[in-house]
Amino acid sequence: MLGISMISLVGVLILVLIFGFVFSKGAAVISWDFLWGDYHETVYDTYYDEGLDDTVFSRPEDLDDTIWFSSVWGVGFTDSVDEAGNAIILIVYVHQNSPLSSLLDKNEEGNFIAISNGQIVNKVIFGDNIILYGSDGAKRAAFLFDQATIIKDMITVTSGGGIRGSIITTFLLVIMTLALAVPFGVFTAVYMHEFAPKKSKIVKLLRRLIEMLSGMPSIIFGLMGAAVFIPFTSAITSADGGNLFSGALTMTAIVLPLIIAATEEALSVVPDDFRQASLALGANKTQTTFKVVLRSSIPGILTGTLLAVGRIIGESAALIYAIGTAIKDKIILTERSTSLAVHIWSVMSQEVPNFEMASAISIIILLVVLILSLLVKLIAKKFVIDPSLR
Amino acid sequence: MLNVFEIKSLNLYYHEKQALKNIDMIIHKHEVTAFIGPSGCGKSTLLRSFNRMNDLIDGCRMEGNIYYVGNDIYAKDFNVIDLRAIIGMVFQKANPFPMSIFDNVAYGPRCQGVKDKKILNNIVRQALEDSALYDEVKDRLREPAICLSGGQQQRLCIARAIAMSPEVLLMDEPTSALDPIATAKIEDLIAKLKEKYTIVIVTHNMQQAARISDKTAFFLLGELIEYNETEALFTHPKNPKTEDYITGRFG
Amino acid sequence: MAELHIKFQNKQYQKRSADDITKAVLFVPTLLSASIVLLIIIFVAQRGIAPFIPSEYEELAVDAILFLTGNTWFVSPNVYGVMFIVINTLIVVFGAMVLAIPVGVLSALFIVKMAPKIVGNLLSGAIELLAAVPSIVFGVFGLGIITKAVVGIASVFGTQTAGGISTMSTIIVLALMIFPTIAIMSITAIRAVDINLEKNSLALGASKMQTWLNITLSSAKSGIFAGIILGIGRAFGEATAVSMVAGNAGSGPTFDLFATTRTLTSTMLLGLKETTGLDYDIRFSVGLVLIVLILSFNLILTRIKKRIGRYSV
Repeated sequence: MLGISMISLVGVLILVLIFGFVFSKGAAVISWDFLWGDYHETVYDTYYDEGLDDTVFSRPEDLDDTIWFSSVWGVGFTDSVDEAGNAIILIVYVHQNSPLSSLLDKNEEGNFIAISNGQIVNKVIFGDNIILYGSDGAKRAAFLFDQATIIKDMITVTSGGGIRGSIITTFLLVIMTLALAVPFGVFTAVYMHEFAPKKSKIVKLLRRLIEMLSGMPSIIFGLMGAAVFIPFTSAITSADGGNLFSGALTMTAIVLPLIIAATEEALSVVPDDFRQASLALGANKTQTTFKVVLRSSIPGILTGTLLAVGRIIGESAALIYAIGTAIKDKIILTERSTSLAVHIWSVMSQEVPNFEMASAISIIILLVVLILSLLVKLIAKKFVIDPSLR
Repeated sequence: MLNVFEIKSLNLYYHEKQALKNIDMIIHKHEVTAFIGPSGCGKSTLLRSFNRMNDLIDGCRMEGNIYYVGNDIYAKDFNVIDLRAIIGMVFQKANPFPMSIFDNVAYGPRCQGVKDKKILNNIVRQALEDSALYDEVKDRLREPAICLSGGQQQRLCIARAIAMSPEVLLMDEPTSALDPIATAKIEDLIAKLKEKYTIVIVTHNMQQAARISDKTAFFLLGELIEYNETEALFTHPKNPKTEDYITGRFG
Repeated sequence: MAELHIKFQNKQYQKRSADDITKAVLFVPTLLSASIVLLIIIFVAQRGIAPFIPSEYEELAVDAILFLTGNTWFVSPNVYGVMFIVINTLIVVFGAMVLAIPVGVLSALFIVKMAPKIVGNLLSGAIELLAAVPSIVFGVFGLGIITKAVVGIASVFGTQTAGGISTMSTIIVLALMIFPTIAIMSITAIRAVDINLEKNSLALGASKMQTWLNITLSSAKSGIFAGIILGIGRAFGEATAVSMVAGNAGSGPTFDLFATTRTLTSTMLLGLKETTGLDYDIRFSVGLVLIVLILSFNLILTRIKKRIGRYSV
């Protein structure tokens, strides 16, 4: 008896371990920059030679003592370390009128670049050929800037390691997939449950086939995506290889059985009384189905949709094949990108797996899954208590 | 003037089992006709064949004819949906849709394409008044219909049917699930509705039949045993089986 | 509505209604939904068979027999062998089931019969949440914690592992992933058991434990087995988590629990970033093998399930 109760605690134990591990490794990484920053580092090469006016920037009151401020340029620096542990100079504040907010690009004529919060100073060559190195520290940086009126060459790096691209991709994937899968799935379920002739052999076959779908592992759908949807979308759009459309089509195939099952379940619970009453009033079947039956089925369909969202967010293997594993910052529908789950795969299959980033993203995914599960439970409760269900 | 319903040599089968045997009868306009008989005698089945609701049942087969104001309603290509629009039906268990009171009553007209708000408001109001429900719900038309009591829900279902301006109202044991007070209200209602509509009511309650109907038909095992003016049937039944039933020897 | 009355007075019958149109329109998505399966089979099969056809690949064509019976994954330039991978996959799935079935069923028994209601709800909620955790997160967890644990276990046995990446890690991670499925379906099955059966057993003098183990579980057989079938299906098809903890064994099969292994799904995923040509296409062939394996198992298991259910209510 005791043994059995111990065994059943395994479930809770593992859940706690997973959450605990993921939180311990990843929580520190989560920040606004992480969520909304670029993944890839960008190197900016800029200069400024237009001379300074007499503006003196006052140090904002909310900057603490660790920040060194240049009142000539209106910029604040602090000391920090990079992943390898090297000392770096981090820009933490740039006044909106600071000349630094609009520097000329050395690589592209006429292009302006804004030096902004979060960038790292790599090297600066000032007007009188005084050089500031990245390892010189924030105090010296502020000092040298205060002395200078011309910047001959300034090299800054954005820190990268952000997941904005993957967040946007995941969001787009969910919307695109639902846009296809929900109408498809609901209409299929409505046909099979309400309109199909009762003993039809075709319907039996269709059901069997759809059932087989739900038993397929998602990686197989990925193979299909690569074999069918990538060439297909490449042919009809400007895409060349994996893209968000092929990914959405693949995910549609995966979540279709889910939505069909949830919708059929919801339809079967609608009391037959309603259908009879509607028909007896002279409504035809189409009106009965859409105005009465489907309306009552909405909670069930909603549940199926939420489950589908969870599935899309969590899917990795299929999308690795159907889109690819290239992490992007700028998301274009006809190009590759990674969803959050595939992003984890991508950074974990590097030579040195990035546990911190993977854990941080896992936290986000787990929280979303948690919320979705709660929503589903909430709908179930409300649905059951609804007295129109007799 | 055409009779509302003429039933000629009607035989009805559920798969192999025969549910109605050789029914011949005529339903007259602006009368309340009651169908009585023990459980399983076929009275509900006959009622449902008037608006072809039996079509929905698997394996239901029919021989013979039913004429509605001269139209053979089982003719090929007959428009069943329109038939059901002009014949109203009230079921044993009140089944308001999971919508507001207003939307329930407006449902039928909306399905027929009525969109104008003013017209709908009038239709709903008239139907609810004719069902003796308007005063009780006039301030909460937008509330969900399931918030009403059982008796009110049934009157709502009657209003819903009346909103279609039918000629005929078919009622399948409409008060069997209600308490005596609600039942009395509906019986009063039927007496008033008779002026506008032809009513056929199936009931297992003989006293009810005696109270509210003009003509009564007694069924037994799928056969029409006796069909006469209500008073005559109950006081001087011609068929001994009828007498047995109404005196309670079985049923 | 007055027009309707007039129509009937005038004996005007009408044509069919909008329902036929609706029916036809709704048939299209239904057909499309069902044909996805055919799409998968046709196109994946085509891609997967291609490497074996000389006309497609000329000298690089892979020998099908060697493919199906070989015990080394890759010998340049075009020798691939999948037999040992199949065996590894079976070992790993079997091992996972050995762990997952008792944990799943007994947890279900505890939740339904032994635990007080609140505890039961908490436990089943935890298990349902676990079932919703995506496989990639299990992969991160597996690589982070399970492998470390296996290193520890290995040192107890005095053996070395490749940083914990091993058959054992794979089995454990898979077991953790599928036992919730088994538990959830078992909970439903056990809940459905007629309480009178249990009362009768107790009345005959059996203890609660005896009743549960002999009568309850027995009556719930069908549902529990359905959960097992589902679990096996998931275990075969699980890809990302497995590929992160299985390793990259080039040949085999691997019977050593602490050695690295390779499954069908891990083969399909590993090294995907940098592949082209034959190496990419051969993964479709591996996918075909996987489909055949899963379908065969489903058939066999469904047949067994029918026999098991014969004496149930």
